[in-house]
Amino acid sequence: MIGSPANRLFCIAFLLMVVPVAVSGAPVTRTLSTAEPGAGEVFTVSLSIEDMALGGVVETLPGGYAFAGTGHPADRFLVRGQQVAFAVMNDTAVTYSARAPASGSGDITGTWEDYLAGSEGRIAASHVAVDGIETIAASAGAEPIASAAQQAASPCAVLAAVAGLILAGRWGGRR
Amino acid sequence: MNRRHLLALLLLLFVVGTVSASSGDGIPGDADGDKVLTGAEYASAALTYLDSAYMGGSGGLTRTDIRDAAWVYTHWDGKPLEVTDSSGQTVTLYRPLRRVVTFSGESLETLRSLGFDMENVVAVDKYSHEKSTFFPECRDKANVGSIWSPDMEQVLSVRPDAVFLYATISIAACDDIQRKLEASSPGIRVFRFDCFKPATYPGEIRTIASMINESGRGEEFASFYESTMGRIRDGTAGIPDSEKVRVYFEYWFDYTTVSAKAGYNEKTELAGGMNPFATGTGEYPVVDPEAIIVTDPEIVVKLAGQGLAVGGYSGHDIAALEAIRSALTERPGWSRVSAVEDGRVYVIHSDILGGAQHFIGTAYLAKWFYPDRFADLDPHAVHQRYLNEFQGIDFDLASEGTFVYP
Repeated sequence: MIGSPANRLFCIAFLLMVVPVAVSGAPVTRTLSTAEPGAGEVFTVSLSIEDMALGGVVETLPGGYAFAGTGHPADRFLVRGQQVAFAVMNDTAVTYSARAPASGSGDITGTWEDYLAGSEGRIAASHVAVDGIETIAASAGAEPIASAAQQAASPCAVLAAVAGLILAGRWGGRR
Repeated sequence: MNRRHLLALLLLLFVVGTVSASSGDGIPGDADGDKVLTGAEYASAALTYLDSAYMGGSGGLTRTDIRDAAWVYTHWDGKPLEVTDSSGQTVTLYRPLRRVVTFSGESLETLRSLGFDMENVVAVDKYSHEKSTFFPECRDKANVGSIWSPDMEQVLSVRPDAVFLYATISIAACDDIQRKLEASSPGIRVFRFDCFKPATYPGEIRTIASMINESGRGEEFASFYESTMGRIRDGTAGIPDSEKVRVYFEYWFDYTTVSAKAGYNEKTELAGGMNPFATGTGEYPVVDPEAIIVTDPEIVVKLAGQGLAVGGYSGHDIAALEAIRSALTERPGWSRVSAVEDGRVYVIHSDILGGAQHFIGTAYLAKWFYPDRFADLDPHAVHQRYLNEFQGIDFDLASEGTFVYP
């Protein structure tokens, strides 16, 4: 049964869809004021935090991008190179600014930990590209700390799953 | 203990001592060491941890440290928690309990009643270990033996942060274990609770609940316990001694009863019974069979359990308890005893009378002693509710276990 190409494809597509659903409840999500900033433009990164009384977030900016400030209390964030750490204390949002380089693209990645719940995971990556132009520059992202099941779905994964389902449907229909 | 065992023990003592010394006295993140974790100190600790965990920094805090700091900051207002146990000693906690060893099944059961995460219990006494029906989650935990024969190597090997011992029974044995633990590792907290005495159990429930940040649940459980015991006390209040039913309470062993020093006598009296052998010497005096007939008990209660290894949570065997009862009624001369004549001979399993569940057994006693006064008391329902709501185990009394007969 599973040996048939259609069924195999269906399984893959199913897994691709199920894994993201399992982590869709991640307590931290990120939005950008723009994913295509102009050269040298300062843009806003907003982290929305749910149900985390005491925890921490570490954000990693792509190479060339620089942390440009935050409204978070001065004694509750720390900058080291491309990374920024935030101590979360009953915060529902953390906002910071980043300055885009003259050119370059990459992913803003992040990790979170909920110290009281004893859980941790990754924040879905957010892609940025100066003026929307993709470059080969590598992201300065840190090593993932969460298992694959905890990783949020990328848009590509969702697209692949949908495509897989469509293909599976067509192939299955020929039998 | 041979030389190899001694060396292994010394190594364990060293390892545990090292671990505890680094994590014992002090709230993690309390930078100025004043035993209060302020918001600023906590925030600094959180950043230090994130820096070392993810950003290449070199702070000294581990994930456990920061989780403990968050716990203390949230649940204990950033301050250590002082606990006075049932032996009167005051123990200071700087961190939540994450690696608990219990030498007392009653404390273990109470922790479960209070919703303690049983994953945080790393080792249990051998009796709890054997009770796989009642403590299925303990089957694979480390076994530390008993208070009379403790496996200290095993205790130290599981690196406990807290050990539970009895407060007022087997005092010498428990004192000895406590001395050894505190000498080997000052970081280990030793708590002494009984969890089987009606007089102290409600207070113990609340104290243990506060230790594990389950005060709400503790209040709920204590209220449940007190409502049953209160109902029994109210129901027997005002009965003159001369009108109390005469009860012959027989321990596991034939013609062995209980004196005023025994816990079973306390429960018999709480239920309104009068024990004609209460003045006997020792806790469990052996009585002359003729003396039982002479006192002519109106009620006979026989204890089943350890010495008569049938029933309880381990098996649904009503016939076994019925056989115990038949053996009693057929004893020479007992046909003349009022309890036998009136059909008031009962068998009760120690699982529901001797330990943390004594309130269930006491309810049965009260119902047997004074059926009219306790017509509305349903010990079976109390028992099932305890298992469902507080123990959280899937155990249907209608088809599992045997606790009383008839």
